Amino acid sequence: MRVRRHALLAGISLALAACSGGPNGLGGFAYYSLVRPNRVVAVGNGAMAVVSPREWNRASRSSFTDIGTVEDWTLNGPYLDSISFVSGLANDKRIIHQERKADRQVPRFRATMTPPEIASLLESLYRIEGGAIEWRTLNLAPRPFLGAAGFQYDYEHLDSDELWRKGRAVGAVIDGRLYLIQFDAARSHYYAAALPDFEAMVVSARRR
Amino acid sequence: MTSLSRRTMLAGAGATALFGGTAASARIDPASLTPMVGPGYRPQDPDERGMWQQMARVEEEIAGSNLLVQDPALNRYLQGLVGKVGGPATSDLRVYLARVPEFNAMMFPTGFAVVFTGLLLRMRDEAQLAGVLAHESSHFLLKHQLRQWRDTRRKTDIYSFASMLGGVVGGAAGYYTGNLDQLAQLGTILTLLRYNRQLEAEADALGIKLIAQAGYAPLSMAETWQQLIGEIELSAAVRRKRPDRGYSIFADHPAPRDRMIDLTASATGLTVPGRRYDRGRERYLAAIAAIRPTLLDDQVKLNDAGASQYVIQTLAQDGWNGLLRFYEGESLRLRNTPDYDARAALSYAAAVAYPDAPADAWRWHGIALMKAGRRDESHAALQRYLALAPSAPDAPFVRQMLAS
Amino acid sequence: MRRQVPLLALAALSVGGCVQTQQYADLQFAPPQGDYKLLVLRPDIQVGAVTTGGLVEARADWTEQARANVIAALRAQQAGRGGQTLILDRRDSLAAVPAEQVAELERLNAAVDQSIALHKYSGVSLPTKRRRGLDYTLGSDAVRFGQRTGYDYALFLHAEDSFASQGRVALQVLGIAGCFIGFCAPNVGGAGQFAYASLVDLRTGEVVWFNVLQAGSQVAGLKMGDLRTPDGAAQMVERLLGLMKPGREVRRAQAAQRARP
Repeated sequence: MRVRRHALLAGISLALAACSGGPNGLGGFAYYSLVRPNRVVAVGNGAMAVVSPREWNRASRSSFTDIGTVEDWTLNGPYLDSISFVSGLANDKRIIHQERKADRQVPRFRATMTPPEIASLLESLYRIEGGAIEWRTLNLAPRPFLGAAGFQYDYEHLDSDELWRKGRAVGAVIDGRLYLIQFDAARSHYYAAALPDFEAMVVSARRR
Repeated sequence: MTSLSRRTMLAGAGATALFGGTAASARIDPASLTPMVGPGYRPQDPDERGMWQQMARVEEEIAGSNLLVQDPALNRYLQGLVGKVGGPATSDLRVYLARVPEFNAMMFPTGFAVVFTGLLLRMRDEAQLAGVLAHESSHFLLKHQLRQWRDTRRKTDIYSFASMLGGVVGGAAGYYTGNLDQLAQLGTILTLLRYNRQLEAEADALGIKLIAQAGYAPLSMAETWQQLIGEIELSAAVRRKRPDRGYSIFADHPAPRDRMIDLTASATGLTVPGRRYDRGRERYLAAIAAIRPTLLDDQVKLNDAGASQYVIQTLAQDGWNGLLRFYEGESLRLRNTPDYDARAALSYAAAVAYPDAPADAWRWHGIALMKAGRRDESHAALQRYLALAPSAPDAPFVRQMLAS
Repeated sequence: MRRQVPLLALAALSVGGCVQTQQYADLQFAPPQGDYKLLVLRPDIQVGAVTTGGLVEARADWTEQARANVIAALRAQQAGRGGQTLILDRRDSLAAVPAEQVAELERLNAAVDQSIALHKYSGVSLPTKRRRGLDYTLGSDAVRFGQRTGYDYALFLHAEDSFASQGRVALQVLGIAGCFIGFCAPNVGGAGQFAYASLVDLRTGEVVWFNVLQAGSQVAGLKMGDLRTPDGAAQMVERLLGLMKPGREVRRAQAAQRARP
């Protein structure tokens, strides 16, 4: 789930660091690690596991935004595609780190939420933290997930970088906790390119 | 919860103005200002020509942005309104309406303005909007961008050691594709749009003169600031903090309260006793009718609870309807506690009693009833929703709710 | 769920002038050669003066000169390889494609360029893309765009250049002197060139080549490839686009070819 995209290409001028004699960029700081295909991979806090049909990149959890039950993967970088896993978010917990007194607040998850309310929570997340300017619900329908009665939510959004993105979330509330896998990608090319991966992961998902 | 009602806020603000604030001495007499720019104005000096060329590229990007609201009638309306209050350069001014849910408008040095949809949401009538457009036009008529640029250049030349430590100032301004919000933050352009107190006071003074000449109530500009102050204060109160927002309009402009006080004083001088002033409320509401649900939706979904509450209640001073009650309910629902759920349920119930209630009001009314255990009433509401919006994207889910 | 990408602001503290490029290519990339058609999408060229305070002041006359020079240099360079070049100044000047489709391609390209900047240049690398050259695409929309227009390649180009005003020259000398006592003046705004180009193969949709050029002259008064002169513009175009290296697999194949008796 995407936050404001502030990286400007001007950043390049800072990153071509040979002028100051240093190594390229951040000197190999590994923000992403490799997800190996065709094996069971625990995600989030480990309460859910999936099998990926190909290699993906897993974002290291930042110590600033430590939400243990949430994990993000990407294939081409977060501007273009991403899959987020929520592995059993408890009642009254946040799905994203925010300042406690932020003017605009993404609602906390509540165990009593119905799928339309969870869909609304995701919409607020993208509008508040993702720079979504326009939001369209494409579909909200029942769909079994992790053996429970869940839902599938399809949507698309125009973001402040003028790009349309499209997404699908499949989730369920089990024992008062939210389990969710969400895919979000540039509508042109990138959504269709990784949707089969997402579907395979949803089908493979198990609680642990 | 918050005891800050809009009325107490306005009473406080009004009193300050009535008894004359300390800002009175700094107020600029509207009669003392005359436009420096006439019809067909062209840039004069090298720095101004460079600025115009750069801005031509910016305008091209903005004009081609998919963040603009395309509604031709609404765009004609805005263009027509700036034509009434834009002073001698009216035929040269251009207005672009960008879909950004912020209370903001900005004038670029070549005579085009970008108005955010969040501004249209908050205007109660045409007179208030005319005031904002007149203020923005005045920046152009008084060549503020150029004067500000020269002032900044002079100052930064003197204090450049401080600015060097401040980090990258310019140079990053080359990449314009997209993001109007980001655009305004880019180095040089940011500098151009950040006016000082003096220039804002000038734009207010000339602006109020322009709307008075066009026959709009001079007091409408001060009202806009009262509304902004009220919104900031309620937004902060709900989050239990001091009213201080460190972004855009509030950081770059003089304190809204000072401006409101000065504008009230100027309005007193410009208002002709006994004259009936145009507010243009019906015209305004007709012009924004097609996008008003979107304007409310974009604001409420940001879940700035106090701001949304203030905006909805301010608009409802001209009368409640199904649309406003529904979005009141949405704003309360997003506050996300059992107490507010109960209040949201009351708003949804009130909304569906109006003939103009949107279909979504029936859906959320139905969900609220279901969560309250009122199954039969819930089913009736959800069935009504499906009848009103049979092809709604969430219809499959709602049908399942009805089946269970 | 926050995608906070750690972009550190690395201040360039160098006091020496230097020119640097860093290019990436698709593994199968072969530089365009022979009879090809290249479309340059709204090249963005700016020249300004750096004031003493570090602000960049846009200069209309310089920008116009530089723009004309860069475009002329680009045409000459591509013609030298056999290419026909069309410079597209406005989104609505293609007969076969409406302006909104040009805009859509530019927007997707902007997001792809930002991804390349972040994951190839800023060090936030993606393990799945290591040793795979430039592995990005604009997809089937770019292919359709190529079919409608009849162009083989699209080039996106941005160049900026700024020059120190006299006031800044004096200050930089002070700034450099300060380095010896523990205070360094960062290159604010910079009297230097910054340019990037990305080349899209419209037959496959792939971004086949990407290059960034930084020609920084942190020491005021030392000018590198002044875009306001035809020679300077040609030098910049040559630095940015002249030395297109083929992709790794193509280079290997060429080496194998040469090794064969």
